[in-house]
Amino acid sequence: MTVGFVAGFASSLVVIRLDRIVRERFEGQRFRVPSRVYSTPSIIYPGLEVELADLRGSFVRLGYREAGSDGSVQQGQYSWQKHRVRVHLRAFEHPTRSEPARDVVFRIRDGFIEEILELPSGRTLGAVLIEPEQLGAYYGPDRSQRELVSLEDLPPHLVDAIVSVEDQRFEVHPGIDVRRIGGALLANLRAGGIRQGGSTLTQQLVKNFFLTPERTLKRKANEAVMALLVELRYSKREILEAYLNEIYLGQRGSTEIHGVGEAALRFFGKRVQNLSLAESALLAALISSPNGISPYRNPEGARARRDLVLELMAKQGRIEPAQRDVAIAEPLSLAAITPDPGDARYFLDLLRIQLSEHYDATVLSSQGLRVYSTLESRTQRLAAIALREGIEQLESQHPALVSDDPIRALQGCLIAIRPQTGEIVALVGGRDYRLSQFDRCTQARRPAGSTFKPFVYIAALEPRVGGPAITLASFLDDSPLEISTPSGPWQPRNFDREFHGRVGVREALERSFNVATARLAQEIGIGRVADVAHRMGVESKLPLVPSLALGVADVSPLEMARAYATLAGGGVRPQVHSIEDLVDTAGETLERRELRHKRVIDAGTAYLATSMLQGVAHRGTAAGVRSTGIKGPIAAKTGTSDDERDLWFVGYTPELVAVVWIGFDEPRSIGFASSRGALPIWRRFVGELTGGQIHGQFPRPSSIVVEDVDPITGARALWGCPDRRRELFLEGTVPEEVCPSGAARGSEDDGFQRTQERFFEWLRKHL
Amino acid sequence: MAAEASVTRTALASRSLASVVLVVWGWVTLVAGGVGLIGGCAGPLRGPRAEALRISQLGQVGDARHQASMRLVVEGLDAELASTPQRALSRYERAIQIDPGNPFAYLVLARYYAALGDSERALQHLDRAQSLLDPSTAVYRSAEPHLLGLRGWALAAAGGSADADPLLAEARRLAPSVWGDGRLEASELR
Repeated sequence: MTVGFVAGFASSLVVIRLDRIVRERFEGQRFRVPSRVYSTPSIIYPGLEVELADLRGSFVRLGYREAGSDGSVQQGQYSWQKHRVRVHLRAFEHPTRSEPARDVVFRIRDGFIEEILELPSGRTLGAVLIEPEQLGAYYGPDRSQRELVSLEDLPPHLVDAIVSVEDQRFEVHPGIDVRRIGGALLANLRAGGIRQGGSTLTQQLVKNFFLTPERTLKRKANEAVMALLVELRYSKREILEAYLNEIYLGQRGSTEIHGVGEAALRFFGKRVQNLSLAESALLAALISSPNGISPYRNPEGARARRDLVLELMAKQGRIEPAQRDVAIAEPLSLAAITPDPGDARYFLDLLRIQLSEHYDATVLSSQGLRVYSTLESRTQRLAAIALREGIEQLESQHPALVSDDPIRALQGCLIAIRPQTGEIVALVGGRDYRLSQFDRCTQARRPAGSTFKPFVYIAALEPRVGGPAITLASFLDDSPLEISTPSGPWQPRNFDREFHGRVGVREALERSFNVATARLAQEIGIGRVADVAHRMGVESKLPLVPSLALGVADVSPLEMARAYATLAGGGVRPQVHSIEDLVDTAGETLERRELRHKRVIDAGTAYLATSMLQGVAHRGTAAGVRSTGIKGPIAAKTGTSDDERDLWFVGYTPELVAVVWIGFDEPRSIGFASSRGALPIWRRFVGELTGGQIHGQFPRPSSIVVEDVDPITGARALWGCPDRRRELFLEGTVPEEVCPSGAARGSEDDGFQRTQERFFEWLRKHL
Repeated sequence: MAAEASVTRTALASRSLASVVLVVWGWVTLVAGGVGLIGGCAGPLRGPRAEALRISQLGQVGDARHQASMRLVVEGLDAELASTPQRALSRYERAIQIDPGNPFAYLVLARYYAALGDSERALQHLDRAQSLLDPSTAVYRSAEPHLLGLRGWALAAAGGSADADPLLAEARRLAPSVWGDGRLEASELR
């Protein structure tokens, strides 16, 4: 009796312990759901070039499937013809840009989208959004991904299919099914080994939720007890829902697919509520051996098992024989597998760092947050390809750069932002994330080289009391210079080892003359140069030394992108950001980044700087940027640090700023200049992104006036001046000197010329 | 001799023609100069502008991208008129996504935030709109009352009436029917 009492007491303790485990799991957070990161949704509108929109690529990556030959296009399917693309877009939720499911037709002419029609109404649409692409997720150690679903969302035939094959007496047993266990025992005895399992859905759930997969008597006993406890405490609906979200359904790369919601997306590219009978049966079929009969690796096996499920459903009266026959006739139709190229991993790391202030790694890997980012999927892919292949090309052209040690390999980064909004649309922090996770765009600080020089010229061009230090018609002195510094005299030299004497301001920047720039910086004050750089977006500490003018300061590519974005934006500095919205599982917006910008440079000065940098791209050190025929406005600056250790290229258009940096993590000479190293990568990236035609223009602010000047003296050119060129000035800074020098200011000639110019300007404005 | 006479006649004819051309050119430039003087020296005509900017009247200008962006701007204004501000915001954001260089997308955002009393954001978007408009164009001039008025409205809301009053006064002068009340409604901008 004592023994019985002790045994009963011990058993009670065990049951109490198991019950506590069950309650803790069921009543706490049942599932760890990794947070997902999405690209920005892409917008398709009439007039867009089909190739640039990358429509088909988007559909494939999003898991859309080619429609069958019967003419119907179901949600998540598309049909592609030369002049007509029909797609049944899936609905998607987005904090500000949700879209309903839509059946639309894109009419295409000459490679451009001519019209977008909504079916069946035939209504013309001005634009449609394509859902954001998943860039990645923040996994926990198990790297499992699931899309949580509730039972109400599921089509009844999916539940029927799973129950029919996995546990047909689920509705009636108390957690364990003695009849089924007996049947399995008999079957296994007959087969001489384990061929059939007797586990109910509840037991499978308990095993996955609480226990290890080991096959021991103790575990089986615990499993049975816990299954009974689960059934006692929770309803059949709750158990079924937990099971459907927990069940393992296969592998995608290193990621485990759990739950029918995730599986529906991965296998069929559609939400679970839209699964057909045949698709539901296939998911049910996979449960017993997700990898063994994977429809990708073993389509025959998968199909045979699916048909078996359909037979069982019909046999159990869950579907009509006719339904079975139709479903069995349906071929397997699966979403394409698009392996994650890892392009966005540096960006994901950046987001993680930014989010870590409020959301630690555990939260990110378990709370199922949705991070809507600013990254543009196509832009990012092109950036990654341009950087990777660009570096490989440099190595093939210069074998001395190649290193067998990945740590000593030539590296690079590319960051692109929208100057008006500050959105990071592409970020590639290195040539291969698998080899090095160090993000050189945001974490590295390297000497800026000549990409720093525009700050000197902007500081000199800025309006101030008594007028700016220079105008674009001024001349600079590029003769030998020696500056005393605490560490001894400093004698800047030009890249070509020569001095050029008296040089125009434009020429000095276009040809990146060091001596003229260093002298100009001395004249206006290094402090003023640093102030301009800081205002425009450089946050790194800048040493107030004469050589700052030539870019000895260590800065990050991100900082340079922000600073040049200020120029592209007409002197308005954007707040650079990478997250648009952060949303929890309930759809509540936790964070939202608003567009923020601030005027930090006078609009006229910014325009003058842009004009100078357009000259750099047109005639100067960056002239090669157009060698592949890119058309449209480009402003750019090359930069090569001492000993050619860092190659920079910063270029911008009215709508995009992109910075390319090339170098070694342990700095050493590359052996050539930026125009041969970083420029070609920028050129390829922007060329492919824009299709060779850059849109927009840099608007000229009202504070800019245009005057003819004498190229020799910089004086205002009147009639009779032998040579002239048009030049831009801030209002009130036009040179007082005139050419020919003897002409009196306000002379008849001058007055006549000005009158004519005013007349034509007036005509231009008013007619 | 005949050849010499012919040459002389030709030379005379050429000279006469040149004289006529020069005289005509002289008159043209004189008239042009006069008009130029009126236009250039007398400064802009004083008094209200005929039309302050209305987004929907801008018509189908620019490339397809800009047009698509403009359609969304109009949709956004319609959404504001239908009292669905979130939808409006969504349309404006899409408009910027399609064409980040569309000044009118920022202009409507500036109005949106000014109406909400969020002066800081209104001014930020206004700066951006202004940086994207070309001042030499007729569109800029029709937008000018709004640029001035919105800045004045936002500054006034932020408590800077000393700076705001002259701006609002100028907006009122340029577009009295729109800026008479010191505000810009979505319907007035649409």
